[in-house]
Amino acid sequence: MTGAQTIPRMRSSETSGTALTAPLRLARRLRGFLLIAALLALWEASARFGWVNSSNWPPVSGVVVALFKGWASGELLTLTASTLRRMAIGYAAGCATGIALGALIGINRWARYALKPIVEVLRPIPAPAIVPMLILFLGVDDLLKVVVVALACFFPVFLNTLSGIAGVDAVLIETARTFRISRLRTLTRVILPAALPTIAAGMRVAIGIALVVTVISEMIAGSAGLGYYIVQMQYALRPEPMYAAIISLSATGYLLNRAFVALDKRWLPWIGR
Amino acid sequence: MRQSISKWVFGLALGAMLGAIPASAAEKLRVSIIPINDVTPLFSAIKQGYFAEEGLEIDTAPSAGGAVGIPGLVAGSYDIVYGNVVSMLLAAQQGIDIRVIAPGTKVDKVEDDASAMVVRSDSGIATGKDLEGKNVGVNTRNNVIWLYARAWIKASGGDPDKVTYREVPHPQLEDALRQKQIDAGFMVIPYVALATAKPEFKAIAHPYSTVQLGVDVGQYLTTSKFLTERPETAAKFLRALRRGIEWYNANRGTPPLLEIVSGFTKIDVELLKKVNMSASPLKVDPPQVETTMKLMLDNKLLKAPIDVKPLIYDKAL
Repeated sequence: MTGAQTIPRMRSSETSGTALTAPLRLARRLRGFLLIAALLALWEASARFGWVNSSNWPPVSGVVVALFKGWASGELLTLTASTLRRMAIGYAAGCATGIALGALIGINRWARYALKPIVEVLRPIPAPAIVPMLILFLGVDDLLKVVVVALACFFPVFLNTLSGIAGVDAVLIETARTFRISRLRTLTRVILPAALPTIAAGMRVAIGIALVVTVISEMIAGSAGLGYYIVQMQYALRPEPMYAAIISLSATGYLLNRAFVALDKRWLPWIGR
Repeated sequence: MRQSISKWVFGLALGAMLGAIPASAAEKLRVSIIPINDVTPLFSAIKQGYFAEEGLEIDTAPSAGGAVGIPGLVAGSYDIVYGNVVSMLLAAQQGIDIRVIAPGTKVDKVEDDASAMVVRSDSGIATGKDLEGKNVGVNTRNNVIWLYARAWIKASGGDPDKVTYREVPHPQLEDALRQKQIDAGFMVIPYVALATAKPEFKAIAHPYSTVQLGVDVGQYLTTSKFLTERPETAAKFLRALRRGIEWYNANRGTPPLLEIVSGFTKIDVELLKKVNMSASPLKVDPPQVETTMKLMLDNKLLKAPIDVKPLIYDKAL
């Protein structure tokens, strides 16, 4: 009876949803943009009318001009590409190590006893905090930044791999064992695919961290990339290109996340079901 | 040894993915700089071809905060770094192999000392005594600006221990003052020129020239290993840099020089015209370094006196 009542209600809401689709959806979408537009207008007004009195607070229109100029001249493209290159290498290294070590500890008790304590000790250390120490071993060039990014990405991927493997249905593993499938094959064909959604979630967390840590390490020890450029422009008293770089950074982060979601949907369509 | 093993391990693990690892050419020098006016003589020497004439190629590696200079030197990433006298003496105290290879900046004349303690014009603060119980903005605690801010507070009747020092980056000191987060800020060029041009702010003192006229603030640093293993390169570097210093001193404020400064600092040329650029020294002045060292002892930055003279490259004297 309850079920019968529910169905028509759902249908009616669906019908009204379809009827209102175009204007409602547009209004809903615009709502988000309107808030951004209002905030930008407030920014512009606060700088133009001197509500915020600071040489570090340019009108947003100036920032937009700097943004266009920066991308048109290719300067921001080069900087973004340089940051993304460092990030991608660090991210790939961090994810690969995280998955490999997570899988090893997940399936091997001895590895768990040997490695888990050291991982737990190192985990709370924020990667940027060890930059000065790492400089002594790695110098100040790309290797340093890549290792810092890899370290930061390692932990979320490692922990998610571990919990993903722990959560794999024991029946799956036992079925594999019944069929006398080798341990390596069980890992690559049964355990890892089953743990993949959790690993992917860890990788998605890591990609956000990777961008932030790349930029921080460029700010601390950089001669190139968006992080260095932001600090350089800050010291050169040129806030417009500085904010243009920050906006480019935020857009890059947003696009990376969207790209990850799109890839997730394509390769792991069962996520979220 | 441990360092080189670690480098190999990390290098093998990740080097392949990084592409080509830069190999150092025989006469290529990697110099860490801070993109501020202080290093203009270096860029002048590059631009005028003085280094090229000596057979040197200078690869400048800018770092905005300057925090990586000495660690990078120790790690072997740089041959020479531009740093300040306090960082150099702190490194020497910690047993780091550090030497002064060339002079950088010096506050030789009162009228050339642009850096200043800046306050809000209506604050009524005029001396160090007035700053007791108040906040003073410095770019970094336990470093050169902090040291001379403390020394000036003491010299003008205040107790430096009764003042709170807050770390504020140079470009933000003006905003911090305006928003009353700090009551005074030790500002350097070009920021000091911009702030004091506004009626709401005023300079109450020039700590460097008041405390120690002639202070050697900045220097080019290297290691004794570099001086011993590459004596000719060191001599060539100093010779070319000195020619750059002479060119800089002769061309201060001229359009070609402003173009050079704008090129590496990215600061607008129009803005640079408002800045008073002080002359650069040709020699390192050991008695001045000793005075700084004593100030550091007074302010507990150093535990014991350091013999300054052996730290300075003899040709730079």
